[in-house]
Amino acid sequence: MNEESLAGLAAGIRARRISPVEAVERCLARIRKWDSRLHAFIRLDEEGALEAARSLEADAAAGRWRGPLHGVPLGFKDLCHLHGLPTSCGTRMPEYFVGAGECSAARRLLDAGAISLGKLNMTELAMGAYGDNAHHGDVDNPWLAGHAAGGSSSGSAAGVAAGFFAGAVGSDTGGSIRLPAGCCGVVGIKPTYGRVSRAGAMVLSWSMDHLGPLAWTARDAALMLKVMAGRDPADATASRRAVPDYAGGLEGGISGVRIGLPENYFFEGVDEEIAVGVRQAARQLEGLGARVSEIRLPDPRDMTDVAMLITRAEASTIHARVFRERPQDLQPVARARLQVGFGISAYDYLQALRLRAKLTRAFVREVFAEVDVLLTPVIPESPPALAALKTATVDEFNARAGRFSRLTRPFNGSGLPAISVPCGFTAAGLPLGFQAVGRPFDEALLLRLGHTYQEAAGWHRRRPSLD
Amino acid sequence: MTESRQHQVELANMAGIIERLAGELALGEEPARFIAALEGLPEDEVEDEDEAPRDE
Repeated sequence: MNEESLAGLAAGIRARRISPVEAVERCLARIRKWDSRLHAFIRLDEEGALEAARSLEADAAAGRWRGPLHGVPLGFKDLCHLHGLPTSCGTRMPEYFVGAGECSAARRLLDAGAISLGKLNMTELAMGAYGDNAHHGDVDNPWLAGHAAGGSSSGSAAGVAAGFFAGAVGSDTGGSIRLPAGCCGVVGIKPTYGRVSRAGAMVLSWSMDHLGPLAWTARDAALMLKVMAGRDPADATASRRAVPDYAGGLEGGISGVRIGLPENYFFEGVDEEIAVGVRQAARQLEGLGARVSEIRLPDPRDMTDVAMLITRAEASTIHARVFRERPQDLQPVARARLQVGFGISAYDYLQALRLRAKLTRAFVREVFAEVDVLLTPVIPESPPALAALKTATVDEFNARAGRFSRLTRPFNGSGLPAISVPCGFTAAGLPLGFQAVGRPFDEALLLRLGHTYQEAAGWHRRRPSLD
Repeated sequence: MTESRQHQVELANMAGIIERLAGELALGEEPARFIAALEGLPEDEVEDEDEAPRDE
């Protein structure tokens, strides 16, 4: 374990091999050198980070350890409200979102000793799959300049890949943690709906929103998720279930774990390089003791459509004010998406919510009777060139973004936990990734599978050069 | 296609999807059962869809 990973850095600080101030200064040096290209930050908080680091350093010297993340620098998607920093949500309005309270998940990480480096770039209002942003700059892919970093938690993923911070918080309404994780070659986990409190984070769709960690390894994500998860009086949808020791269970291996490769939907129309990469990962997992078989799924298109309808209706309800009062401040793509939501009838919306319950129950019952984990691609095509996205009309752009998120969105509908894990590179040098999906609240198995795979495959030992 | 025409097409498509799927819903189906599905309420606490009366 080296100090480039969150786990290694936390251990290094605890062993006094590196101080919190040194950790922050290392991150700042990389940010100063490369963020003019990547645009991972909307607001870098150098002073705040150094002040916090000095305080944590004094605490460490006195033997006062605040928690498992003592001195570890993190970044927060700019829809997490934290006192002292504005929350733009990727819009041009610095204080678009003013929460009554802080983002519970972010606050828990800070209370566990983490240091905030600032607020991270994202697609406007978290509505978009590519990480483009006309107000704050398009987030660039750390592995191949000029290519999409994925969205909407674009700065979170690109910044982790670039070593700007050891981990980041993202949100995922249709794939917004897993898509950028897949594009940038990092680990991202969308936990079960309700596993992590959504309090203090901008709402896009209260039925579909999930918060989760992005990090370099499954171990790093496990450490963050343990801190972030758990009941929260500020969020009635947060589960009261106990939170397992995810990191403590990582070394158990995957012998006998039943992995299902979908026969339908998930490999249809997917780039050959991506499909081959995921199947190769499945073979490696089989070599590590898993039992891999093909499985026919209840048609995921139904849940995809239902989830999209619910998201559109709720997003328009939540963001109606800016649409009506300051439409010129929104990018045309965001405006167009919100416009559609206003036309959805109450009948269709409520039927969609009822259908979601039925489809979820059927999916859980039918699929997890046969397998423990589903393995799919995360994205259907390699991260596109940013220039190519600019030539599309609004309708073309939104249709393409819809296709780009079609492999992740079904699990926002079903609320099932899903992790994105890097599994190689395309010939052009862009990351490949797989998505593993588990039973409700079985994040522990997904993290263990990801960890076991990473230790064997070793892709996480490569870093982008950025030059 | 104009923007408003495109939106009308999208709305019609979404309504068509709901129309196609909603006929299969049991009367007892309600949104809160989504949480029950995740939290793992026992199957016998969940209405049997095959025997339940339909909405329409």
